[in-house]
Amino acid sequence: MKDQIVYYPERKQKPAKPFEPDDGGDDNNAPKRPDVNRPDTQELLKRMRRVDKDQSRRYRQRTGE
Amino acid sequence: MYRLFGIETEYGITLENAEQIDPVKESIELIKHYQCDHKFLPQWDYDGEDPFKDERGFRAKHLNNHPDEIEEEEKDKERFAEQPGRSFREIKSDRILINGARLYNDHAHPEYSTPECQNLFDLVAHDKAGERILQECAERRSEELGQRVLLYKNNTDFYGHSYGCHDNYLMAREVPFDYLKSSILPFFVTRQIFAGAGKIGIETEAGLATPGHFQLTQRADFFHVEASVDTMHKRPIVNTRDEPHADPAKYRRLHGIVGDANMSEYATALKVGTTALVIELIEQRLIPKSFAIANPIDTIKIISHDQTYRWMIQKVDGKMMSAIDHQREYLALAQKHLAHLSDETDWVLTEWEETLNALEDDPMRLTDRLDWVAKKWLLETFVESEGIEWDDLWLQSIDLEYHNINLEDGLFYGLQMQRIISDEQVHTAMHTPPLDTRAYFRGKSLNKFEDSIRTVQWDSITFDIEGKAVTVNMNSLANPEIAQKYNEALDLSPNPQALVEKLGLN
Repeated sequence: MKDQIVYYPERKQKPAKPFEPDDGGDDNNAPKRPDVNRPDTQELLKRMRRVDKDQSRRYRQRTGE
Repeated sequence: MYRLFGIETEYGITLENAEQIDPVKESIELIKHYQCDHKFLPQWDYDGEDPFKDERGFRAKHLNNHPDEIEEEEKDKERFAEQPGRSFREIKSDRILINGARLYNDHAHPEYSTPECQNLFDLVAHDKAGERILQECAERRSEELGQRVLLYKNNTDFYGHSYGCHDNYLMAREVPFDYLKSSILPFFVTRQIFAGAGKIGIETEAGLATPGHFQLTQRADFFHVEASVDTMHKRPIVNTRDEPHADPAKYRRLHGIVGDANMSEYATALKVGTTALVIELIEQRLIPKSFAIANPIDTIKIISHDQTYRWMIQKVDGKMMSAIDHQREYLALAQKHLAHLSDETDWVLTEWEETLNALEDDPMRLTDRLDWVAKKWLLETFVESEGIEWDDLWLQSIDLEYHNINLEDGLFYGLQMQRIISDEQVHTAMHTPPLDTRAYFRGKSLNKFEDSIRTVQWDSITFDIEGKAVTVNMNSLANPEIAQKYNEALDLSPNPQALVEKLGLN
């Protein structure tokens, strides 16, 4: 955005290396599949209870593509 | 993946606690807030766009529209009459961003079109960057308005109004359209088992038909035709709009309108990655006729609605098989012919296989990867905790809030979903185009020479050089080697004059 410092890194023709959660420094150019995470149910329930019951009733949109 | 692709997403927009809003006005205002000073330069060139042009070699006489929308467009005329001076360009509010993306008001929805990428993980980063850019716009607009703007990356309002998330792929024009259609259509019908974003309730264009029925996709209820140029009503599984935004003699653009907007990075990557591989197979004419499905229009809904998760389909030869096995047919061909082309290809092949195995074993194993599974888990957890029925409209609101792009409130962002890109990659994508496609030429031209740019299209930029319009045609930049040449010339040019000289254009 214009109000932030905008910089371009040196352009490389090779794609940027994807995020590797368990990066052990190898050359694999694809992300690893981490272990299955289980959500923190209590925190989520708090977030869900904050959802306004009427939100979807009020939510009207126009048809798009 | 050696192919240009991109995602265009129309977002839902509303104001907190508002019973009614003018979505056209709010979309325009939202986009104005991309910049703090609300400066708007109308730079998009509409001359090259023709949504009536059909891949099958003709121009459609008209495009179908939702009955409600015909009514709304009449009201628009009254609304705009009260605001004289509101031009077409102001209504569209088209912006080209320095990351090479396009941000604009598409009819009544803010739309973010990613820059063209050829790396899957770049694309996922740019898709997520779109969320963050729009959320920043929403926060600025909220502050000015004194009321929160809420944005949803979903595809329905539960009243029968759908809006799109289109995945686009540049591919060889020499592939006959009939072959493309017959090969990709069955894939699109069964792709939803991992690409669907989930929805509570079954809709028709007339509104909510069956509350409480959880289904795989947001969009399946809205598809009624196998192939056509329409996008707003009587939607086709295969869209035939012929706008390659590249050299039309060499390229088609597969304009995939059947998919859902994904919140999950993993689902986005799998959706686009598998489709790109299937297109590769199609270009090599490797998809046999036997992959075809007997009744695709009914089947796309039957799969989405199926509560047993067996997802049985009937092939054209009458044989029954599961959608999982149907996907395995495409996967087996891709493994045979495309394995080891790149690390990225292998990532897609591995995850595609693992996902299909998990879907067969127990879909809930994919709670941290696929949107529809995560949403189902969320809804089940809430039903159990609150002791409510499945047709309780609160669940519809929970569904909606899954797609809220506000990191603090959105339910998706309360989940611990697997990441395949980092926050740093998303942040970089907000300001930086992909470095290896023509999007770099667009984004960096804007960054370096904005004051000298008259107009921009996906495949051209027109500079103002000493009062003279000079157009750089980017048609050929779909070729990565030519794109590299142009991008290098841009890096070395201190001004537009030097650039066009380096490119031999004057």
